[in-house]
Amino acid sequence: MCGLAGVARREPRGVTANTLDRMAAALQHRGPDGCGRYAGPRVGLSHVRLSIIDVAGGAQPLGNEDGSVLVVYNGEVYNYLELRTELIAAGHRFRTRSDTEVLVHAYEQWGSAMLGRLNGQFAFAIYDRRTETVLLARDRFGVRPLFYSIAHGDLFFASEAKALFASGEVEAAPDPVGLDQVFTFWAARPPRTPFRGVHSLEPGCFAIWRDGALRHGRYYELDYPEATEESPEAVAALGRLLGNSVALRLRSDVPVGGYLSGGLDSSISCALAARESPFPLRTFSVTFDDPQLDEREFQLLVARQLNSHHFVRAIGPGDVAAVFPDVVWHAESPLVRTAPAPMYLLARLTREHDIKVVLTGEGADELFLGYDLFKETALRLFCLRQPQSRWRPRLFDRLYPYLDPRGRRGDFWRRSFLDAGSPDDPLFSHLPRFLLTSRIKDFYSGDLRATLAESDPLQELRASLPPRFAAWSPLHRAAYLEMVTLLSPYLLSAQGDRMSLAHGVESRYPFLDHRVFEFAAGLPTQSKLRGLREKAILRRWARDVVPPAVQQRPKQPYRAPDIPAFFSPEPVEYVRELLDERNLAGTGWFDPQAVAGLVRRCRTGAATGFRENQALVAIVSAQLWHRQFFDSAALAPVRSAPLPLPDVALDDGVAALS
Amino acid sequence: MDEPAILARTRAYVHETFLYMRPGFALGDSDRLLQRGVIDSMGVMELIGFLRSEFGVVIADEDITEQNLGTLADIARYVAVKLRNGGPARD
Repeated sequence: MCGLAGVARREPRGVTANTLDRMAAALQHRGPDGCGRYAGPRVGLSHVRLSIIDVAGGAQPLGNEDGSVLVVYNGEVYNYLELRTELIAAGHRFRTRSDTEVLVHAYEQWGSAMLGRLNGQFAFAIYDRRTETVLLARDRFGVRPLFYSIAHGDLFFASEAKALFASGEVEAAPDPVGLDQVFTFWAARPPRTPFRGVHSLEPGCFAIWRDGALRHGRYYELDYPEATEESPEAVAALGRLLGNSVALRLRSDVPVGGYLSGGLDSSISCALAARESPFPLRTFSVTFDDPQLDEREFQLLVARQLNSHHFVRAIGPGDVAAVFPDVVWHAESPLVRTAPAPMYLLARLTREHDIKVVLTGEGADELFLGYDLFKETALRLFCLRQPQSRWRPRLFDRLYPYLDPRGRRGDFWRRSFLDAGSPDDPLFSHLPRFLLTSRIKDFYSGDLRATLAESDPLQELRASLPPRFAAWSPLHRAAYLEMVTLLSPYLLSAQGDRMSLAHGVESRYPFLDHRVFEFAAGLPTQSKLRGLREKAILRRWARDVVPPAVQQRPKQPYRAPDIPAFFSPEPVEYVRELLDERNLAGTGWFDPQAVAGLVRRCRTGAATGFRENQALVAIVSAQLWHRQFFDSAALAPVRSAPLPLPDVALDDGVAALS
Repeated sequence: MDEPAILARTRAYVHETFLYMRPGFALGDSDRLLQRGVIDSMGVMELIGFLRSEFGVVIADEDITEQNLGTLADIARYVAVKLRNGGPARD
């Protein structure tokens, strides 16, 4: 796993080594094992490396036989051995054993059509010196990030936005519309980011830069060709697919560990990894003091069954607040939950134990309808079909079992679900969440409201939906919305890539093998959500794989303390300072009086609901984000970071070196 | 405590708790709290806690209805009747 950056000029006026090294310096946490660059008259490429496959031979930028095609690459192509065999048969000569070199030859062989052949999690840039084109591409589900910006007619791209700003040629400025999307969906919706003029390449997409213009294409579309009934072979087929997906994701020249949450999905990943591994697996977990958040009992159960070497990071009082500024710096976005912070600490623990690759369970809830949101959608539809029924709405009491039961009963609670939106609205499934998150906007300043007067993030999302969306079943529409609004832009980013690579740890996702996705998308929804039983087919298959208590355990969402992380009961120092009137006026985004009211309620312990917890995290993180990215004094240390010494330094004479 | 006093205290509580960040929000006593986005399903939990601690009224599950808690006026009426019929509940 690595970080990449680069510049492609419209005119051949050169890209300096210094510019590229500054961009690399901003990404060094992603690749502490080495770095390299190519500085040419029109294009410059920069790379920081986390060595995982072909530790000795995989340095980048890496070229083809005559150096006419160069690549910088972040990620893994798991089927690289199979592709390599195919490419050798087609006459290509390989110098290394790395998956990186497979990309170069695959590009020569198939051009951008290569993308459909890759099974992996990747973002890369390929520079074709013969045609003066740069191909940027990103994996199907957006596991690995790739940002770009066009400034003064030139293209800048990088694994993280901070590297774009480190070039000195891309201006760092907030985008209020991107900010508003964060406070609607939990993250800005690609291609938009919270930074003005900085775009995120969409998952499953590529872009080609040629003659000063960027042309976009899509090579992968999410689709849900739902079968009417489950094949008798389905459970066995699922087992074979998952087994193969894990086996591919264990391809590594360094040891692979596993994150263990205590839930079904990560337990499956770790169990399959332990089966394939000749050595005891190393597993890693976080625990919480708060028993409502803690899952240690189940983590230990699985660790014991797998006989793994198990390591735990206990999240205690003060831990989240202590790392939250670093979390925001790495996430590069305001946040509405502190949940990334424990993931940041977990990655640190993992790296301290010499593991730089971990398997995790993300993706299973989206593929197999694991979240309460899917049950809620099914129940709302069920009730709306017979609005007069008195017993149907009582089923809502079975949702969200982790919430205080005092608030989960009664007609009032049930009514809030039934009134949450019309089934004709394409966003029906997600409106309760989007509207709840949008309550953060109650704290907006008058100026921000005025700036956003014409902006309607929900309408923009509706307009972006693919034509086939309407043909999918309501639960598959919900699954699609979950994939595009939350999985890639938030879970795989702020809780995934950014937190693990802050410490040079690569996470791998067996459920996000596209073959597993396509299998799940083709199942009837009742194979996944049977009544109110989530991930039904996965549970059936997992009977012999994980302990029965985990196999039967209802989904528990991963959460971390929000307001209590910052108030005890007085706010931690930086929160007090960021939320004072002067600093709030500095950003101009939030109404100081409203924020003062929130702080007052946080101090007295009165602020306990979702609305205020998310608002506090949103406001603190937005203020931190502003300070870190737009305050030039705060950015100075980043801009003057020591430049890395490249192990690979290529220039226009690249052919001689290749 | 009579109904107007209950209404006044509940109104103040709702403004302090759910509307402090929306100072310009005009809430009538007969406005529906759920539909106007003042209280959501989570807020109901807080409201019930307030009615218990402020007026000593324990609300049974079957009483958590729009009819009883839908508006400020509904809440005042419901609490007043409960107090008249049984007095404050004891733990």
